[in-house]
Amino acid sequence: MAEITSREESKGYQDYEGNKKWLNAHYDPLASLYTFSQCIALSDINADGENKLIIADLGTGTYDMKLKVYRGTSLMSENAIIDLPTGVVTFYMDLTEPRTPAIAVASGSFIYIYKNLRPYFKFTLPSLPIDEKEESAWIQAKDDLIDVSVLREILDGLRSKGVILTVRSMKFLRLPPHELSTFVTLHKNSPLKMQTVVTCLETLKKSHSEDDAISCLVLGTEHLAIYILDPEAFTILTKIDIPAVPVFLSVNGLYDVDYRIVVACRNGAVYSLKRGSEVKKPVFQLSAQPVGLQRIGKNIVVACMDQTLQCYSTKGNKLWLIRMPADILTMEAMEDKQKGFKGVLVGIENHEVHVYRDKYLVNVIKTEDAVTGIKFGKFGREDSTLVMTTKGGSLLIKMLKRTAKFEEKDATTSSGPPASQQQKLNVPKKTKLFVDQTLRERNNCVVMHQQFQHDLYRIRLEAARNYAESLNKSLNPISTNPQEPLKLSVHVNGIGPMFKLIVQLQNTSLNSPSVGLFLTFHFDSSLYSVEKTLIPVPFLVPGLNYTFESYVECKSDKGISDTIKAYLCRRSSSTPIITGIINMPVSESIIVS
Amino acid sequence: MGIFSKLAEWLGVKRKECNIVVVGLDNSGKTTILNKLKPDDSQTSDIVPTIGFNVENFSSKSLQFNAFDMSGQGRYRNLWEHYYKDCQGVIFVIDSADKLRMPVAKDELDQLIQHPDLVSKRVPVLFFANKMDHRDALSSVKCSTLLKLDEISNKPWHICASNAITGEGLDEGVNWLSDQIKSYLRDLERRRR
Ligand SMILES: Nc1nc2c(ncn2[C@@H]2O[C@H](COP(=O)(O)OP(=O)(O)OP(=O)(O)O)[C@@H](O)[C@H]2O)c(=O)[nH]1
Ligand SMILES: [Mg+2]
Repeated sequence: MAEITSREESKGYQDYEGNKKWLNAHYDPLASLYTFSQCIALSDINADGENKLIIADLGTGTYDMKLKVYRGTSLMSENAIIDLPTGVVTFYMDLTEPRTPAIAVASGSFIYIYKNLRPYFKFTLPSLPIDEKEESAWIQAKDDLIDVSVLREILDGLRSKGVILTVRSMKFLRLPPHELSTFVTLHKNSPLKMQTVVTCLETLKKSHSEDDAISCLVLGTEHLAIYILDPEAFTILTKIDIPAVPVFLSVNGLYDVDYRIVVACRNGAVYSLKRGSEVKKPVFQLSAQPVGLQRIGKNIVVACMDQTLQCYSTKGNKLWLIRMPADILTMEAMEDKQKGFKGVLVGIENHEVHVYRDKYLVNVIKTEDAVTGIKFGKFGREDSTLVMTTKGGSLLIKMLKRTAKFEEKDATTSSGPPASQQQKLNVPKKTKLFVDQTLRERNNCVVMHQQFQHDLYRIRLEAARNYAESLNKSLNPISTNPQEPLKLSVHVNGIGPMFKLIVQLQNTSLNSPSVGLFLTFHFDSSLYSVEKTLIPVPFLVPGLNYTFESYVECKSDKGISDTIKAYLCRRSSSTPIITGIINMPVSESIIVS
Repeated sequence: MGIFSKLAEWLGVKRKECNIVVVGLDNSGKTTILNKLKPDDSQTSDIVPTIGFNVENFSSKSLQFNAFDMSGQGRYRNLWEHYYKDCQGVIFVIDSADKLRMPVAKDELDQLIQHPDLVSKRVPVLFFANKMDHRDALSSVKCSTLLKLDEISNKPWHICASNAITGEGLDEGVNWLSDQIKSYLRDLERRRR
């Protein structure tokens, strides 16, 4: 009965338009599954035609980590995992009948392989060389030549120099002082090992592309490498070094023929690795850290921590970018072969899952909680099943209705080109004049170009002349002379016939004050009379704004106006330092009277 | 119908014929059920997922059935509706062990009930809650609650738990369906006159 009631509970959003495309198959708010998309897989691991749901549950993050397998709505098996899982994939490792895929779980520096739900093999990543100083420090600590505080100092020093330390040293540095010595006595006798950690796990078909062909495992490590493992012998087939820590992989092709691995790194760089090629430059650099990577056809879609979904071509050209209403928690591919639909599912912090085809939002699913893990595929016998896990640990299973259609129109905010762009414009036929002009242009292209160039030079010459003149006469309001770093600006207030000129002066230098300056005005005396024709300027402190004012009266009532020039001069020189040109407004007095 | 077959029918030598559609999700056991309903000598032992549809014939005490065994796979489900027009009965097979897909079965059933070719007809609908022998099988009562069968108002319906491998429950269902179809046909004839 629990089944029925739990299905009812998720009815809250049943009436929401976007949710109507989906059937609620199962909702278990108390599943206590804490996981993310890379740790969810759907596969027919018993070879009985029914896909199972395989989830590596992160538990609390320190204990209770489990590999859980669901058959339909019920939990079928549980296996404890020792370290935090970072990825789960299923793959065919042999050709024995019946064809049962194996499960690979990446956890710590190991890949655990399960077959028929029983532990089958453990692959350990090769250990790496240890920094000599770190090793000798531990040897000294072991022989009691140095005490724990010195050991701590040495290791801390190494770490700040950028040396990559072993896990033991890092754990040691993290401890509070009173626990240091117990830690050292506990661990000092076991050999120090440099072990890397798997960050991401994917599969790559070996030599055939059928759905049930044998696949290699592809994994990325914390120590800047990508490994490709042989599925039968579990040997390393290829190791590729890359410049940053890989966190998301997208793999295409066949190992024996040709393949391409797109790698998103923690620092936002995205690399594209091909069979037999060296890794040099990223294909593109993201503006923020990635939270998901998918290849949809020829495009690379990346979800970023700055609330954006971005799409790039394989060459690294940005094709589009969409902003999400809140933080993106996860992103997964969605492919429905029957409907011919390819898109991405984006789990967003605001309790929504968005479905994008290309850059178009085609569906919004509202959920009770923020979705952190998504997988779309065949579950049980249903091909288009959406499995979601949430922040609060609940499990949601939805099935796409057979009749559901994804149309761009039902998006709440369609960001595509408007429909009018599709309409054909009524372009008139070419006129005779147009044809004549085209002919003329075609015949006289050289002359026309020369004429254009000639005129262009003349314009440039004219501009240069005027510029030189203004420099000579100091006609501009900002001084071009580095000895006189001054700025002048003039405003006119009032409507006439009485105006007020406001002159602002600023010394733009850092620390050389200006002295011995005065302001004067040049104007048509038949038109204007200026109250103060000469204003002595005091000592100008650098950076401050000085304001000077003078009244101007317009003598004419014929509605004409002229320019007044404000000069800033030095007593010793006859050319002004800077000039401000004021276009006087027409005196309004005539209109008023 | 020719005069001879009419006569034969009246004399009870030849049974009345009727068309039924057999639908339900893939793997629910439609083909297995129809196979079991056929005379022993014409049953096959290997049953494969149906592609498109097959026409099977079997008979009850009083009726001769032409059954359209539709494929339940998603990509063929759009074929179902083309056979609704000329059918006098529906068998809807439910895999009672497939709890997960009950909502999918319900969605398909809703579409069937509301289809223009069926919505106004009083066509009898027989449900088989099949695979009752399965460990995780839901009871027929639970199946009818999940599919909300009580909301079907204008059609006679009946649900039987069944096991298509042993044949358990099949006769009960087919007898009910025969009776219903006969009265449905009588009704139609009366109305035509
Ligand atoms: N245990 C059990 N298995 C059954 C029963 N009925 C059918 N099966 C099995 O279920 C599987 C599917 O049966 P089919 O008759 O092919 O199912 P179908 O509904 O015709 O499937 P499609 O043709 O794909 O739509 C077969 O392996 C049958 O043996 C049953 O009552 N009990
Ligand atoms: Mg069949």
